[in-house]
Amino acid sequence: MAFFFALAIGILVALGVFQILRRDLIKAALGFALLFTSVNLLFIAVGAFDGNRPAYYVDGPAAQPSDPLVQVLILTAIVVSFGSFALLLAIVNMISRRYRTIDSDEVSQLKK
Amino acid sequence: MDYAILIIGAIFFPLSGIILSLLAFPSRGIQHVIALATGALALLVSLTLLAANLTTGPVVVNIGGWEPPYGIVFVADLLSSLLLVMVNGVFLAGIVYVLSCQDRSVSFPVFTPLFLAMLTGLNGALLTGDIFTLFVFIELTVLSSVALVALSDDVLGLEAAMKYIFISSMGTLFLLIGIAGLYATFGSLNFADIAQALATGERPLLSEVALVMLMSAFLLKSAVFPFHFWQPDFHTTAPTPVHAMLSSIVVKIGIYGIIRVITLLFLDEASVIQGFLVVLGLIGIFYGSLGALRTYDGKRMLAYSTFGQIGFILVGIGWGTPLALLGAIVYIFNHGFIKASLMMLMGVVVSYTKPKTARLNGIVGVGTRVPPIVGVLFFLGGMALAGLPPMNGFISKVLLVRGGVEATDVWLSLGLIVGAGILTLTYMMRTWQQVFQQKFDETRTDIKIKAPGQGDSYFAPLVLIGVNLALGVFAGPLIYAAQLTVEQLGNPSVYITAVRLYGG
Repeated sequence: MAFFFALAIGILVALGVFQILRRDLIKAALGFALLFTSVNLLFIAVGAFDGNRPAYYVDGPAAQPSDPLVQVLILTAIVVSFGSFALLLAIVNMISRRYRTIDSDEVSQLKK
Repeated sequence: MDYAILIIGAIFFPLSGIILSLLAFPSRGIQHVIALATGALALLVSLTLLAANLTTGPVVVNIGGWEPPYGIVFVADLLSSLLLVMVNGVFLAGIVYVLSCQDRSVSFPVFTPLFLAMLTGLNGALLTGDIFTLFVFIELTVLSSVALVALSDDVLGLEAAMKYIFISSMGTLFLLIGIAGLYATFGSLNFADIAQALATGERPLLSEVALVMLMSAFLLKSAVFPFHFWQPDFHTTAPTPVHAMLSSIVVKIGIYGIIRVITLLFLDEASVIQGFLVVLGLIGIFYGSLGALRTYDGKRMLAYSTFGQIGFILVGIGWGTPLALLGAIVYIFNHGFIKASLMMLMGVVVSYTKPKTARLNGIVGVGTRVPPIVGVLFFLGGMALAGLPPMNGFISKVLLVRGGVEATDVWLSLGLIVGAGILTLTYMMRTWQQVFQQKFDETRTDIKIKAPGQGDSYFAPLVLIGVNLALGVFAGPLIYAAQLTVEQLGNPSVYITAVRLYGG
């Protein structure tokens, strides 16, 4: 199971980094969404001692449950990353209106 | 536990200020009263917290009564409370500056809540004893400052905000990966608990990966050399009060994280990290000072100068002896007040131009049309930044040189401080002469000067320069507190036992 987690995280990070490096600002912003998801998956993988067990049993096998703390952590991380993603999209939206482009090469008035 | 309520207060007051000022949005006056009241209360609380630390020792509060490491714990040791006093003192002056600021962005109803959100994030990040909570509070500061810069009067603010949020999201990812690594290794997020596990000398698989990730994130938040390129743009385009806060206190959060990592958590690796910090600091000092020397914009010059001053602090931490660390901590404290006052004075000068510009060729001679005391204050601030007596900058540089003489070569440290001091003096005094000494060209048509009293008030920088002078003349109490801080940092078991892990 750890292998699949590692594979999924790796693919998500690769896709996210590829998207960030593109010129299109919206695609770059979406790349961050992928990267944040990959970090959330990393947290889940950290807490899953034994693969895909739930965090809490009401009844059922008396085996070791998964660690509940990481699930709380990713709830917080999702909220924070959602906030920064929303702000990022809002800024890209304003940029597309003011500059009439979303090509990051053309949004470069600061260089002057 | 008697003082525990103070820690809650330091976070509760600005947090309640956000909500109350959002509710009071139709009236700017009520928003300002709320901001002033919460800022003053937070300063009062942080001063009491420092006094409590000096008399009885670290103050700890377990949120919700849960024992650490299961619950979230807030710890105010001497380092936290000393920096808390600096942050809240500078921030109160920032709020006072906002009252009279003529920027259009300051009149937006969301400005005051976002400004207070920055303070909440800073206070929380300094006080928390839990690394995930540290991440949340740092994000609060970062996101509110991005929003504030995006609504700046400067049309380039939006572009700078976009640049910073991309960089800072990357930093957030680094920080999160570091936290995941620490949690995977030690099963805990509590600083004291992790420190206890690391003190055994064992280094399980992911702990050093986590160290690298955490250090990268903190260096990025402080704009240290390889991660610095966003800083001048982001700081220059910010509204004046926000710029003063960003360049003086927000950059110190990363420094605080670095000090925590090398004095509490990764003690065995500290010498390696310190070697890196000295090199990065040296690059920062000269790159920042030379950048400030040849830039074209008054606000940008001060942003570059911050980059150089952060370099001094890093070099002090990097030398690593108690004396050098003492110098670095006094430097952190003093630089907050110096840089905020200079930034506000530059803002006062810039606010008298119409259309508003901070270009050095645009503000030549503008200083002769503002109240004359602004020129005097700017001169005193320049002296403090360059490290001339009787200002507090002199005290921090002397302490740093003493640390350097003890830790390394005499000539290296002396040459460093004197050389960088001369560079600082050059760019500050050149700007002072251009702005306050040269005559304003009456025939210019591109820039008009507002009538006296139409610009920002110089009251807040006046107070800050007064504090700088007082800290320079009566430096004893600050040095005493910083000495105790260094003693406490040298002995991490004080922090660990204060947290009372597992109810012990």
